[in-house]
Amino acid sequence: MKKEFYHLIRDPRSLILAFIIPLCLILLFGYALSLDVNNVGTVVVDYDHSDVSRDLIIHLGASPYFHIEGYVRDAAQVTEYLDHGYTSVGVIIPPDFSRNIRSDRETPIQVLMDGSDPNFSNITRGYVNAFIQGYNQKLLTQFLNRNGMESIKPPVEGRIRVWFNEDLESRQFIIPGIIAVIIMIVGAILTSLVIAREYENGTMETIKSLPINAGELLVGKAIPYFFIALTDVLISVFLGQILFGVVMKASFWIMILASSLYIFVALALGLLISTVTKSQLLANQGAILITYLPSFLLSNFVFPITNMPKVLQFVTYIVPATYYINILSGIYLKDLGLFNLWPSFVVLVFMFILLATVNMILLKKEGL
Amino acid sequence: MNWLRIRELVRKEFIVLFRDERNRRVMVVAPIIMLLLFGYVVNYDIKNIRVALIDQAHTSESRKFIETFSGNKIFMIKSYLQDPKELEQLLLMGKVDLGIKIAPDMGSRIRKGETAAVEILVDGSMSNMASIRIAYTMLILETFNQNLIKEIKGRDINYGRIDARIRTWYNPNLDSQHFFIPGIVAFVVMLISLLLTSIAVIKEREQGTMEQLIVTPLKAAELIIGKTLPYIVISVVQMIVVTIIAKFWFSIPIAGSLVLLFFATCLFLLSTMGVGLFISTVSSTQQQAMMTTFFFILPFFMLSGFVFPIANMPLGVQWLTYLNPLRYFLMIIRGIFLKGVGLHVLWPQYLAMAVIGLILFAGAIGRFHKRLD
Repeated sequence: MKKEFYHLIRDPRSLILAFIIPLCLILLFGYALSLDVNNVGTVVVDYDHSDVSRDLIIHLGASPYFHIEGYVRDAAQVTEYLDHGYTSVGVIIPPDFSRNIRSDRETPIQVLMDGSDPNFSNITRGYVNAFIQGYNQKLLTQFLNRNGMESIKPPVEGRIRVWFNEDLESRQFIIPGIIAVIIMIVGAILTSLVIAREYENGTMETIKSLPINAGELLVGKAIPYFFIALTDVLISVFLGQILFGVVMKASFWIMILASSLYIFVALALGLLISTVTKSQLLANQGAILITYLPSFLLSNFVFPITNMPKVLQFVTYIVPATYYINILSGIYLKDLGLFNLWPSFVVLVFMFILLATVNMILLKKEGL
Repeated sequence: MNWLRIRELVRKEFIVLFRDERNRRVMVVAPIIMLLLFGYVVNYDIKNIRVALIDQAHTSESRKFIETFSGNKIFMIKSYLQDPKELEQLLLMGKVDLGIKIAPDMGSRIRKGETAAVEILVDGSMSNMASIRIAYTMLILETFNQNLIKEIKGRDINYGRIDARIRTWYNPNLDSQHFFIPGIVAFVVMLISLLLTSIAVIKEREQGTMEQLIVTPLKAAELIIGKTLPYIVISVVQMIVVTIIAKFWFSIPIAGSLVLLFFATCLFLLSTMGVGLFISTVSSTQQQAMMTTFFFILPFFMLSGFVFPIANMPLGVQWLTYLNPLRYFLMIIRGIFLKGVGLHVLWPQYLAMAVIGLILFAGAIGRFHKRLD
């Protein structure tokens, strides 16, 4: 174990990277990466040039969801802007717009939207519909007042209450999720190299001749990385809280317990990959493929599991990060305790025991 | 410059690469797995919004209300409950996305011409999905209201209302795969080319064979070309393979020109080869090289607009993305796949990528020279 520490200290760059990568990830995700949609860039073509159309445009611009970037000449220019990616939405008001509204006829307006990014355009479409609905309500009231009719109340009103993430900020679920990714990077990818390195340098034979058994070797190899990973977790929690206001709703100690457990699983996985591949290049490729990518993709981190095909949904059950992220979202967003989260804990413990046992058996076979 | 020597070096490099069966697997299988995985996972399509319902009114109005949801393909009613506590539990466990609670007075209020409140609880954990689900729910409510008013008043109220005709371009069905798979193609090419290049040089150094190469009559320029050419070829082949999979497996339409796509790939590889060589000059072990590669790939990936839109980033970070070659490659690849635009729109991206690529490649060669002397 001491030897592994020396290795780490002698190679300060790997050590620094082990801390810098998490730091960068947290800052990056916290500041820069967001799936929320605000201030959608919008251009307007007003063929009508009336006070009615201007009123519509003013209301559109006043909404926090749209940002009017300017007027353009005609529909062809909207197309050009969309092709270049200068704008995301183009609103085209036809020449008979105000005439139709004044004579109580339904009138179309055309909304062109860059639909390449489905997340963005789905949300934007919701904004457009909501805006038009609100504006129609206003037009209806004007119409009823003008004709001296009593107002019509909508029969049903939806009182929407958002739970767990009241302000609908994507950072509230991205920051906890990124902790799981960080642990996998630091835990599994770094440790995946340590046993392979012994094989490649030929020092495995030396170790075999030492009075040390497989269990001791694994523990010794893992402990330095355990502390590095745990430090990374603490840094992430701390930064998430003070910089981005991502605060745990449940107990800090459950978080530490879950994290330690998950780090154990990550380390066991990394060491197993290392034992099996015996080559640093392959171990690294394997670690990226087996640990990093699934914990990023198949864990409900930013990509919803419920949207995946059935086969992949089954695969997510064997990805450790799925359970850890489930625990984290319970702790960060939902204020759940051990009482609700114990199944995920049990699965993680089971995974750890399985991975460690397999690794020991393999090393024993090698003659350790 | 002696092309014969380069040819021999390239041949040696290919032999070394393909001799190891596991290496072959990494090169051939890894990109395909990644494309398939990403292709199916990265999916923001809205389908099957899972709903739990509590109907405390049990009147014809409330039943009609429920029918508008159950009759809609997007909503999937998972369970009808009695107890609000059960609903909370389902939301907590993430079993449903939406809870709808109809108060006992719904029927009587509607008949009196008053507004009845329907409580809608939304799991906001994934905020982007939640926003979309809320928007769909509001749309359903609006349709229900309009039909009911028509029924109560016995006629349509014709007033000058606006009908927004929304047309989404480039990806009219808002299909996630159409958007993400071209991005994955770009990402796979970057990952493999970057990693292979940096490892190729380091391995020579680690095994001490670099010294042997230096004492051969190979010139530095020949060495660099010989070392990068095989990986350029491999990356281009991979690009072709993943594009074919995208086209025929995922049925992603390619609206634009394949020649332009090929051209863009070559320009992009200039950057990745440059970064790969640079990494090889600053690292001395494979572990270091891999960690450093990772260190480069993460910001390349995150700050490219692949999943997270650049327009959402703070201005300072947006400026940073202009230095990212993947940003331009993604814009080109999406432009070609989805929009079918050509050079007259994309030339600034090509230019930027060429400039960045040349600078990176030249810089890396400069450093590489120094290390050799």
